[in-house]
Amino acid sequence: MEVTLYHSPTCPYCKMAKDMLDKSGIKYKSVDVSASKKVAEGMIEKSGQMGVPVIFFGEEKVIGFDASSIEAGIKLAKKESK
Amino acid sequence: MTVQTDLVIVGGGPAGLSAAIYAARFRLDTVVVAQEPGGTLAKTHLVENWPGEKSISGADLMSKILEHAESSGAKIEYDLVKSAEKKGAVFSCELDSGEKIESKAIILATGSKPRKLGAPGEDEFFGKGVSYCAVCDGMFFKDKTVAVLGGSDSAAKAAIYLADIAKEVYVIYRREKIRAEPINLERLESKKNVTIITKTNVTGIMGENLVKSLKLDNKYKGSDSLSVDGVFVEIGHEPQSELARELGAKLSENGEVITGPHGKTNIDGLFCAGDLCAGSFKQAITAAAAGANAADSVYSFLSGNEVKTSL
Repeated sequence: MEVTLYHSPTCPYCKMAKDMLDKSGIKYKSVDVSASKKVAEGMIEKSGQMGVPVIFFGEEKVIGFDASSIEAGIKLAKKESK
Repeated sequence: MTVQTDLVIVGGGPAGLSAAIYAARFRLDTVVVAQEPGGTLAKTHLVENWPGEKSISGADLMSKILEHAESSGAKIEYDLVKSAEKKGAVFSCELDSGEKIESKAIILATGSKPRKLGAPGEDEFFGKGVSYCAVCDGMFFKDKTVAVLGGSDSAAKAAIYLADIAKEVYVIYRREKIRAEPINLERLESKKNVTIITKTNVTGIMGENLVKSLKLDNKYKGSDSLSVDGVFVEIGHEPQSELARELGAKLSENGEVITGPHGKTNIDGLFCAGDLCAGSFKQAITAAAAGANAADSVYSFLSGNEVKTSL
């Protein structure tokens, strides 16, 4: 399962989401939406959201820092990688 | 699972984490339960009134405080306290995860949450152009037009931050004059791409998939509609006093907890610190001090040396 975290360097919730993913040990792709307008627009198109963090666990989308949903996504990612 | 401890601190902002640092030094067995570290401070673009830090982002300052609290030995659980009750001398907190924590004392440091505008479209377009955090979501509005709603210092700071990202920033305020700190008002007024619209309320947020315009109750340039790509709501905060209410704490008219000296409430063993306290100066520095005071009060309470007051 592909896991992608969309974040920005100034967003405190992104840092918290990143910490959770890092602690879990799962592999994920990290996309800084502040890198360019194109990257930000790509995220908006994919997620329909203009806010970060957004995490995709495969097709499942977690919007904002929702600790229990992130936990559930991590569990799913770990299960699928076995 | 039920955990037993001396103290539960609810909230992970400067008040809660400072209380945790002091509680660790007092060797109190403590659990901090926070939905997120940082609270309101973490969402502040720049903090320039924290002694020892001339200028630091709210998120960086919170990371430092969090690291300090953790290195002091504070146990932090990222969870929500769903409900709390006091039976005899024991407090019981039920967490969203299902865990229960029983404690001899509680410090409530739940702070406040952003006040919603209450206009049609606000919920529908949340995350689709409506935001309550400029530093979180500002970068989506590079070269776009945004509005900041509100006239407080926080609103001014959000607009200053956004002015460096967006093409155009409107500050829309219902009263006549923006009431930011003079230093921030000067900064705001020096931004060439900021327009301040006063004596105007936003009565609706319109769009399709994303925000497209705002409805105004007072015409601006002959129109009651203003085209924007994003809107940042900065109209103040509301106290998060649900747990205080459940535990029977005395509240002020606007729902803040009435405290006596050092965060003491009318309930034995229940203390309060930070923005949740009635009449407090809503600043990180005063919240941190209140956290230290509340931890000291808990230490005195648990040692049987509490100073009795009318509260």
